[in-house]
Amino acid sequence: MWRLWNKPDRDLDREISFHLETLADSYQRQGMSREEAMRTARREFGGVEPVKEACRDIRWSRPLAELARDIRFGWRMMRRAPAITGAALLSLALGIGATTAILTLADVLLWRTLGVPEPGQLSEVFWASKQRTGFNRRSVGSVHKDGALLVADFFSSQGLDALRASAQGKAGIAAQMGTFRVSASYDDQLSVAQVRPVSGNFFSVLGIQPAHGRVLNEHDDSPSAAPAVVLSHRFWSAKFGASPAVAGRSIRINNHMYEIAGVLPAEFRGIVPAENVELYSSIWQSPPFLEPDSNFRASAVDPTCWWLHLIARRAPGVSEAQLRDILDAGFAASWPKAPESAEATPHIRLSNARRGLGSIRRSLGNPILILLGLVVLVLVAACANIANLMLARSASREKEVALRISLGCGQARLLRQFLTESLLLATIGGLLSIPVAAGVLSMLPGFTPIQGTEMAISATPDPRSLAGAAVVTGLSALLFGLYPAWRAVRIDAGPALKEVTGRSAAHLRSRWAPARLLVLFQVALGVVLVTVAVLFTGNLLEIVSRETGFDRGNTILCKVRPGDQGYLDDRLKSFYSTLEQRLNDVPGVESAGLSITGPMSGGGGWSDLARLSNGDKFETAVHHVSHRFLDAMRVPVTAGRMLTRQDVESGGRVAVVSQDFAARLGLPSPLGARFTMGFGEDVQYEIVGIARNATYTDLRHTPLVVYIPFDFGVPTAQVVLNSSIPPAGIMPAVRDAVNGIDREVPLVDVFTMEQQISRTLHRERLFAWLCGSFGVLALVLCMVGLYGLMSHTTARRTQEIGIRMAMGATRGGVVFLALGNGLALALGGLVLGVPPAVYALRLAERHQLIPQGPFPLAALASAMGLIALSATLAVLLPALRAARIQPAQALRRA
Amino acid sequence: MSVKKPDLLQGTLDLLVLKTLAQGPQHGYGIAQKILLSSRQLIDVQQGSLYPALHRLERKNLVTSEWRESDAGRMARVYSLTKAGHACLASEIEQWSRYSAAINWVLEG
Repeated sequence: MWRLWNKPDRDLDREISFHLETLADSYQRQGMSREEAMRTARREFGGVEPVKEACRDIRWSRPLAELARDIRFGWRMMRRAPAITGAALLSLALGIGATTAILTLADVLLWRTLGVPEPGQLSEVFWASKQRTGFNRRSVGSVHKDGALLVADFFSSQGLDALRASAQGKAGIAAQMGTFRVSASYDDQLSVAQVRPVSGNFFSVLGIQPAHGRVLNEHDDSPSAAPAVVLSHRFWSAKFGASPAVAGRSIRINNHMYEIAGVLPAEFRGIVPAENVELYSSIWQSPPFLEPDSNFRASAVDPTCWWLHLIARRAPGVSEAQLRDILDAGFAASWPKAPESAEATPHIRLSNARRGLGSIRRSLGNPILILLGLVVLVLVAACANIANLMLARSASREKEVALRISLGCGQARLLRQFLTESLLLATIGGLLSIPVAAGVLSMLPGFTPIQGTEMAISATPDPRSLAGAAVVTGLSALLFGLYPAWRAVRIDAGPALKEVTGRSAAHLRSRWAPARLLVLFQVALGVVLVTVAVLFTGNLLEIVSRETGFDRGNTILCKVRPGDQGYLDDRLKSFYSTLEQRLNDVPGVESAGLSITGPMSGGGGWSDLARLSNGDKFETAVHHVSHRFLDAMRVPVTAGRMLTRQDVESGGRVAVVSQDFAARLGLPSPLGARFTMGFGEDVQYEIVGIARNATYTDLRHTPLVVYIPFDFGVPTAQVVLNSSIPPAGIMPAVRDAVNGIDREVPLVDVFTMEQQISRTLHRERLFAWLCGSFGVLALVLCMVGLYGLMSHTTARRTQEIGIRMAMGATRGGVVFLALGNGLALALGGLVLGVPPAVYALRLAERHQLIPQGPFPLAALASAMGLIALSATLAVLLPALRAARIQPAQALRRA
Repeated sequence: MSVKKPDLLQGTLDLLVLKTLAQGPQHGYGIAQKILLSSRQLIDVQQGSLYPALHRLERKNLVTSEWRESDAGRMARVYSLTKAGHACLASEIEQWSRYSAAINWVLEG
């Protein structure tokens, strides 16, 4: 490439030398010697260089050729200072990469609009009331608080009908349920998939056209319709090889055959940000509805059971406020009875759904914005670093610049040279940042917020985010690359040329002022980032190391799904009973038990109320378990007795309660006490045993727990194994035992308890991991900045130090001088960093990212200690180098 | 050199180069010699300044160049007039004659 660009130059050389030689020939013929002839020819020709320069000016390729020369020169300059270049590139790559990753995450979760036409017309439908309403006891959905109001997203089917009727002509309303995990098999390939049951008009309301086949429609919306599913584009590509012939074929989901109606377009990625729903079925033909004795089917028409989530598309010209008033008027018609009070009266509230349903935004929105704030700080620190490095580099190039100016290099030309170098640096750094961002993103799905699902965040950095981060860093590189150039062109070439290393201290101070400020700033940023890092990692470690009340080390969790294979009623119960027996017989398994709710799985079963005979009510977690469960978890019973096989088989109304539960009763002897509790109708239980307190579905809380014997008429169950043999050693034997019952019912989702625990702590882990990296990054940036500044200062003060030493300064004194200089700077930064760090801590506390409590002084102090330590290290090396200066040599060099 | 040679008028070098090339392809050295010869040694083009002029004309597509072997066996860059160059020469000559006639009238008037 260089050759091509340089061709015109070489041609010109040849052309001119031909002229000179031919001219010289003629003089030679007149009797001159060759040398004399050449000299005369040159004189006759005039200045060769100005002619060349003039020709270059005319030629079109001049700018390109110069750019190439600039780039080559810049590359040489970068290679000449590998440490500075490496540090700058690292800062750029990490800064841009991290920012891009977090921006991409924020974009996917918070900002991206749904892949449907006119997403601005969509609204999510909620109802809000000051108190719990009494007529929606059996409900499935989420409630969040908005000030004093409770805001809920679930409606009964009567509610849906009433709202649809009132919105006639003003809006279309579609319904959907939460997602379910199912076993899907096609062409003998079995996989676990995520299915979302939706109303027939779901796709028409959203305005989605199928990529192949058809989408669901109103005809699918009936209990008698043939079961049909629509595939997501992703699922279709991954499992069906994107075959267009798939529409009309059959797929088995759990134990039922479905027709594949069609395939969704690629741009529709679901109605919840980052969800990974693979199949859509109609509600009435959804897997939970098709189960025999389905609770869902029975309660679908119950006006007290609220379970549908609604999304509305407003007709053009209808505002959200108008629609809200219309819906609110129709809503009351669907209530099974009048509300108890004005406080308990629900009112419709709409929230714009152009960016999808808002649950993830509500739970992760603020945390992600905080992350974004932190990563911007990292980016700023990286920019400061680059600025510093550019300043350092320009200082070491002053002589070169002076030389070039005195040789007649124009100012514009010089500026352009520096600009090219900065751009080159920014470009390489930007390119390096892409793998960094991709790496960060590829680790994010590991921090999945929803159990059993995978965040559908692709590892491709969002190009807009990448561009944004690159522009910021590129601009800073340019700005700080040009500043030295601008200063350089104003230097007086004479003194700068003469100057070698000596410099007066005053001169030095003013010259280095911007660099010192930058380092100060960087250390302050470091305090904020490292404090936050220490805080979040400390928080995670604290939670992880909390006492759980059960055996964490030897517990293995897995699931069985016999219901998917058509097991029912007595066959189902006997399957579980055989399973538990066989598992306990496996050599190496100390104990095995079953439960409905998985330990450490998040969520769980909660009973609003356990009611005592005296009318006292409180909330409790409910654990439906087999009689071996507590034994398998190694939760000891401290009083009374364990649950027995008879309790389970006879469906006895007995319970083992946690110590806290027992204490809450406030009775002298809790054993034998009775309480009532229930889902729907109340059932009375007798307390037969008290178990040690243990956590339930997550590590953060230890709620009151009641263990109820259960006969397992449920399609899926959690298996808990206790074994001192690691999973790899014990699982083959366990699988064999399960296969011996039914080959079609495999063990799935096998995790050790520790793995399961870390899955529930996704938010804490995400924060600890990201902020920890930010903290390390900030530390490294600080060290690089300080080291760069101090080694340059030392290098430029060689002469002064030489004089000091010649005058009798000791080596210790010199080290002290240099150390003191750098540490004073670091100390200033530390002090400056405290107020913003305190603010960051308060912010994290306010958004419940860390538990509220006394001010975490320890975190702040240890962060400052860490920075002080690394600052000392960064300053020590240049200081020691200063002490090694030989006075005689240093003075001679002046 | 006893006779003072006149300075080349601004902008006339292009005209001279075009005119010289109208008689046939020529390399830079040859052009310089020819101008010197045909001006009866009165116009001595600063030889170096010829090249920027040639490159400028080439950029305007009035001349083209190619590498050819010269009489002495060296490779020389030989320029020749393009069609546009011929047309341009014609109009330049016309302009020049009007210009010089006008100057003459003034001087003789």
